[in-house]
Amino acid sequence: QGHEFRFGPCQVEGVALPRLWEAFQTMKDTVQAQDNITSVRLLRREVLQNVSGAESCHLTHDLLKFYLNTVFKNYHSKIAELKMLPSLSSLANNFLFIVSKLQPSNHESLSVSDSAHRRFLLFKRAFKQLEIEAALTKAFGEVDILLTWMGKFYR
Amino acid sequence: HIAEDSSKLLQHVKFQSSNFENILMWDSEPDSIPGTVYSVDYKTYGEPQWLAKAGCQRITRKSCNLTMETGNLTEFYYARVTAVSSGGLSATKMTERFNSLQHTTIKPPDVTCVPKVRSIQMIVHPTLTPVYDGDGHQLTLEEIFQNLFYRLELHINHTYQMHLGGNQREYEFSGLTPDTEFLGSIVILVPTWSKESAPYVCRVKTLPDRTWT
Repeated sequence: QGHEFRFGPCQVEGVALPRLWEAFQTMKDTVQAQDNITSVRLLRREVLQNVSGAESCHLTHDLLKFYLNTVFKNYHSKIAELKMLPSLSSLANNFLFIVSKLQPSNHESLSVSDSAHRRFLLFKRAFKQLEIEAALTKAFGEVDILLTWMGKFYR
Repeated sequence: HIAEDSSKLLQHVKFQSSNFENILMWDSEPDSIPGTVYSVDYKTYGEPQWLAKAGCQRITRKSCNLTMETGNLTEFYYARVTAVSSGGLSATKMTERFNSLQHTTIKPPDVTCVPKVRSIQMIVHPTLTPVYDGDGHQLTLEEIFQNLFYRLELHINHTYQMHLGGNQREYEFSGLTPDTEFLGSIVILVPTWSKESAPYVCRVKTLPDRTWT
């Protein structure tokens, strides 16, 4: 109780980060073992390091929407094969809830949203440079990197 | 047949991490070929090159300390072991992706239990880790995990315990009977990462009451 995410001006209550970890932990080793490209990391330092509070709301919104609309949507059948749908549903529902609460305001300076969007494009470009199956597997396997970063904004 | 023998050379390659001390460990089947030597490489996830771990090349023991090489809390790592038998058979196996924040377990805290006449004071000492920040400052568990806290229990008898908790250093269980033995138990908890240490246990006796009544 009483925990919340605070991405700069954006506040999200009612999500327990340990539950997100629990959901992902059950899939992590299986999915990461299928990612053989150890020399490419999508959520690299340039995407996540030194993100300002104001940027974090925009960036989290972009990343979670991408995970919902591209990664989870297209990796769903694979997870179903692995019989891990309940964990994926739990993760996806929490991401959906967080996105619904994030209202990246447009009052901030253009540079803040631009900077966040450039970071997101770094991630998206790296994703597109890989063959789709490999990209989906890698992105899904990097949810722990995403959760570790989101943990910095969890109080 | 060769594939079968080489799998005997090398098994269970994995990190074991405790308070951010990251040890790579592996195994081989009991009846595997004697005289096998092992070499360790490691890499940062997302980087192209594997790096040889100095001090763990062509060794016969089955562990290698990679604490310094895998100490960045925001990085993810792989390690791999190559085993070569005296007969020239070889096998290479890689760990799962490793990140010490996620994988490290927490050791019991270091606590001093101080008995008084009608109370017991417990002083929790900070736990240093082998992790350093950008300024070369050695970090404690408390500095790494922002929401770390302690849970303290004092067993009064079989059915009754007293509880205290928080993230400060000093605690005192009061209102106790003089000249009586109690069992204290203290654990570290990190809720965000669902981590809980094994307990530090102290058995301590309150002092006799020498005041005139």
